[in-house]
Amino acid sequence: MRRVARVLLATCVAAWATLSVAQAQVLRWGGDAEGGAPFVEADPQNPARLVGFDVEIAQLIAGKLGRTPQFLQVQFASLDQSARRGDFDVGLSGIEDIPARRQSLAASVPYYEFREVLTVRERDRAVYRTLADLKGRRVATLGGTMAYDLLLEAEKSHGITAVSYDDDVHPYSDLALGRVDGVVLDNVLADRAMRRNTGLVTHPDALAVGSYIVITAPENTALRDQVDRILTDAMRDGTLERIFRKWNVWNDDQPRLYARVTSAGVSEPTPPMAPASSAALTWRYVPSLFRAAGITLVLSCAAMALAVALGVAIAIGRVYGDPVTRTLLTVYVEVMRGTPVLLQLFVIYYGLASVIRLPAFLAALLGLGLNYAAYESEIYRSALLAVPRGQLEAARILGFTRMQALRLIRAPQAFRLALAPMTNDFVALLKDSSLVSMLTVVELTKQTQIFATNLGSWVIPGILCAVLYLLMSLPLGYLARRLEERWRMPGV
Amino acid sequence: MSRALDVRELRLTRGTRQILRGVNLHAENGEVVALMGLSGSGKTTILRVIAGLESSDGGTVTAGKVGMVFQFHYLFEHLSAIDNLTLAPIEVLGQSVPDARSRAQALLDQLGVGHRASALPRELSGGEAQRVAIARALAVDPPLLLLDEPTASLDPARRNDLGDALRTLARSGRALVMTSHDDEFVRDFATRVVVLADGEVVEEGDPQAILTSPSHPATRELLQVERTKPRPAPPVYNR
Repeated sequence: MRRVARVLLATCVAAWATLSVAQAQVLRWGGDAEGGAPFVEADPQNPARLVGFDVEIAQLIAGKLGRTPQFLQVQFASLDQSARRGDFDVGLSGIEDIPARRQSLAASVPYYEFREVLTVRERDRAVYRTLADLKGRRVATLGGTMAYDLLLEAEKSHGITAVSYDDDVHPYSDLALGRVDGVVLDNVLADRAMRRNTGLVTHPDALAVGSYIVITAPENTALRDQVDRILTDAMRDGTLERIFRKWNVWNDDQPRLYARVTSAGVSEPTPPMAPASSAALTWRYVPSLFRAAGITLVLSCAAMALAVALGVAIAIGRVYGDPVTRTLLTVYVEVMRGTPVLLQLFVIYYGLASVIRLPAFLAALLGLGLNYAAYESEIYRSALLAVPRGQLEAARILGFTRMQALRLIRAPQAFRLALAPMTNDFVALLKDSSLVSMLTVVELTKQTQIFATNLGSWVIPGILCAVLYLLMSLPLGYLARRLEERWRMPGV
Repeated sequence: MSRALDVRELRLTRGTRQILRGVNLHAENGEVVALMGLSGSGKTTILRVIAGLESSDGGTVTAGKVGMVFQFHYLFEHLSAIDNLTLAPIEVLGQSVPDARSRAQALLDQLGVGHRASALPRELSGGEAQRVAIARALAVDPPLLLLDEPTASLDPARRNDLGDALRTLARSGRALVMTSHDDEFVRDFATRVVVLADGEVVEEGDPQAILTSPSHPATRELLQVERTKPRPAPPVYNR
């Protein structure tokens, strides 16, 4: 018996030791493979394999450290938070060198220099050459990037409208579609987009210059220093050049960057923009949070109005309609309730783009309104059915038509019954409205995310965001309770 | 007396069940006709067919405008007592609001619930709700008033008040047809009784005579059942 226990124990120890060694030999690296070429992308030939220059640099770093690279998929906007949590050892995914990142994480030397460039439609080439030419126009970029900050500045200085996307593919496709009039992004992304979309042209002048870095957890400076050494060695011996040439992104900017980095020898980057303190950053974002809260509120109210109007019509159709109408409406309700609202938003905005090019806000309003109409209609339908049949018979004997009975007797009582669940839905809609950031509408949650990314912390943005949501939802709940008390129905 | 209701050979089948098998029924102005019969004998169904809430499979119903008071009243819960009365006169008959309101108030006063005009249905007692329901049915001035089990939710004192009220209504020239389980009430206040069994009229005539010495076995059975069963508590309607 004792021998068995000893053998078991030994086996466990051996297994644990093997696992720890395996852990130590792995270099977990984080990046975003979603539409991430030429940085990180699933190989079109073999989606299980990753390709891209960041993949090769990660392999280079892991190789020099004597470890095996292991990829961890992290959403681009969450890379900083994820690094801070220690989800991965190093992060590479075209991560920009910005002051907030250097303050809150351990950041490597820059390994690639890029230019922020303006892309416009071919026919606008002569008209829109700089941001100043785009006064009053919509200019798109990827949210939470240097380019986005650049556009926010340009909103003030040049009167453009900055439009933030969650990925770097749709800004260019929307430019081709005419939804925006310019895109500002890294030249690497612009070059790739030009190959994908015809009829676009990129102005060569840099609106700003930035560089990509490798990030590690703030306390992991030892690993960062190792990464710095590996990168500077790779700059000297031409390994990086080979990688970038292979991916067609090598240019004359890189030798200049490498000369600067290798002569300095340490990770002292040239900040691409004037560094801002976190208090100043917070202050700068507060007005935009309020604006975003306004968008959330206006969008939610408009979508709810649409949902209520349509929901009432559907409910009446399902209670009073002929069998064909009832079946069609039931199908509508089941389809809208049974599929994700996010999918519906994508279909309305991107899927229908070839048929009808809806502006983002209108598409968001329609998507949320059409989806919530299905839920509202179910509330109204059950509320209509909850009004006792006897009252309707009494109305009929008194000489009311069906429509009069609905308008004067059934609907007013049903409305009182529907009020509580309706309020519930409105509060839910207020929060679901954050999904429309996928359609480039910067509402409260999206603005908070941008704020948090640039600030390098979720604490203050998170609290401000929560307070703003509560300020919108609490008065509603209060109002609904007051109305319910006033209109209390028997048995409710 | 003129005839307010004439029902001839009324037949109704639901699935395989024959609910009414050729019922003949009439009511003259000034009469209070009581329909009696065991549960399932078709009493309520006859009222519903007369009111136009259900269609029959055969026979004819000749009646003018009909008013109906349901067992559970079915007042419009979102409206005050007086608004329950004025809604149809204003919206259906096109009366002016002041006219409709003064008529409604007079009806409520007449039925002894004038002081409850502004109360919501859920604030009324069972007896008050029933009077408001009667007043609502009368607000469109129907020559024929149907009442389904009007005594079901009333205590004995209230039953007599109701009986007096119904008699007054009949004397003012209306015809009243009610269903009832309550043979004492029928004996005291109805002018004629019609006994139904299995969807047929088996006996009819003076309540005093028929209910004291019934000639049909179904009537005897009915009285037997009514007298042996303990009087049920009034149903709870207004919570």
